[in-house]
Amino acid sequence: MTSWERSYARSAPWFLLPAAVLLGVFVVVPTLHALYLSFHQIDLLSLDRQRWSGVSQYAAVLSDPRFRRAFANTALFALLVVPTQTVVSFALALWVNRPEAPWRALRTVFFAPTVVAMPVLAILWTLLYQPASGSDAGPINRVLLGLGLPAHAWLRDPRTSLLAVAAMSVWQGVGLQMMIFLAGLKAVPPAQLEAAKLDGASAWQRTWHITIPALRNTFVFVLSVTSIFAFRLFVQPYLMTRGGPGNSSVSLVEAIYEMTFVAQDLGMACAASMLLLVTLCVLTALQRLALAEVRE
Amino acid sequence: MKRALQWVASAVVAAVFLAPLLWLLAASLVPTDQVFRGGWARLFFDGGWTLTNYASAWRRAALARSLAVSIFQATVIGGLGLVVNSLAAYAFARLRFRGREALFAVVVALLILPIEVLVVPLLLTVRGLGLTGGATALAGLTLPFVAKAFNVYFLRQHFLSVPRELEEAGALDGASSWRQFWDIALPSVRPALVTVLVLDLLMHWGDFLWPLVISTRAETRTVQLGLASLFTEPPIDWGAIMACAVVTTLPVIGLFRVLERFVVATDPRAGLR
Repeated sequence: MTSWERSYARSAPWFLLPAAVLLGVFVVVPTLHALYLSFHQIDLLSLDRQRWSGVSQYAAVLSDPRFRRAFANTALFALLVVPTQTVVSFALALWVNRPEAPWRALRTVFFAPTVVAMPVLAILWTLLYQPASGSDAGPINRVLLGLGLPAHAWLRDPRTSLLAVAAMSVWQGVGLQMMIFLAGLKAVPPAQLEAAKLDGASAWQRTWHITIPALRNTFVFVLSVTSIFAFRLFVQPYLMTRGGPGNSSVSLVEAIYEMTFVAQDLGMACAASMLLLVTLCVLTALQRLALAEVRE
Repeated sequence: MKRALQWVASAVVAAVFLAPLLWLLAASLVPTDQVFRGGWARLFFDGGWTLTNYASAWRRAALARSLAVSIFQATVIGGLGLVVNSLAAYAFARLRFRGREALFAVVVALLILPIEVLVVPLLLTVRGLGLTGGATALAGLTLPFVAKAFNVYFLRQHFLSVPRELEEAGALDGASSWRQFWDIALPSVRPALVTVLVLDLLMHWGDFLWPLVISTRAETRTVQLGLASLFTEPPIDWGAIMACAVVTTLPVIGLFRVLERFVVATDPRAGLR
């Protein structure tokens, strides 16, 4: 270590202090507190009375029908959204990966929904999905009727409510994944693509054998980030369906929110939050594994 | 022929992405009982556009105040966060101190914690600090999100890519670590700083769960909460809801232009190692 580096090391605490204090108070302490509360009985109105309850709250959460349905719904939502969003965004990226102005404009169009706030879009799509009644109809049903198809109450039918939320979420999110793929596409060696072309490989073969393998890490990144986002689902069901009809579109985070503010059972809410955290950890670990494999 | 087909396909896909946003704009401009009445053509071309929806949205959602709250929220988180996170990121990238690796491992571990996991205990913490209710809720709304593990991580990656020679030259001139940070390191990572700032502004402009929990009084409502209140509290006025949605979205359009430039310029996998 040279002398200037040694003298600089002395100022390190001052550089770190603000972030350390804020992260400590608002992230580390609450996380540990949640872990503690998940093993203790407590309620919102009398925070002082707490007693050890072992894993009973985890058991209560895991046997709660609304929570179980919420977990299944959220997993299903992820299964619907993650593959669709990945494939569509990759296709869009290949489509607009051309330098001329019209393609750049098209990129902007696909990216536009991602910058509009989610509550705005959730409310907008509730109106778009509005069922037909009398001479009124939401614009989506208006299009269906115009094509001679039957109108449908998308958000009010338990068979389609989650699907409708998923469709809207894909529409909202693909633009961002497309941008990530576009950045990745820059790193695909053009010489290799050119050589394959000269050898008579079709566009499809070039994509399958050169582009996709070259983008392996980008795919892993997009898949894992998208699935983590999927498990954080809250705004769409909260505003569009209130989790309904029945339990048909309730999400994990929404169930936790209800445990906190409707049932006012903090311990149970914390136990549920820890289960969500474990799920996110598993997803992240899978991502690390997939990336590590590549590096070897 | 092939070219024409490409254009048609592009136009159709573009329409899927743009039509909902255009519908939002049109619906905000027609009398509220007309929103679902006519088809698309009628909504767009039948004239009779009016700004009454905007007037009633402005009044009912108290937009002047909630816009001020949201601008305050985004600015404090984005601005203060830039200072706090870049300081820490610089220390992790350039300053050698005991326990650096261990501390950085903690930051990496924190990457995984979203607000959705923390909402209950964070509410207890913020309440314990007296940062709820009335004007102090503005602190409760912002302070927990100023320091961000992801931003520390992301900025550290960028500081690491600044050539060391620049700082060694500065050290020979006797510059302090603060000078090194401020005069050499920060200007070298400007695109990353802009990216972090704009992403923070966009993300927190759209915040919903935490404001819903913390801003229980009308005075500290953000724009998204104001919009949601129009949507959930009767009487439901569709035109006003759409007008409010448009007003809420206008400020992000400027940011969007900036982000577009930088997202493409910055490799998002820089945070991947």
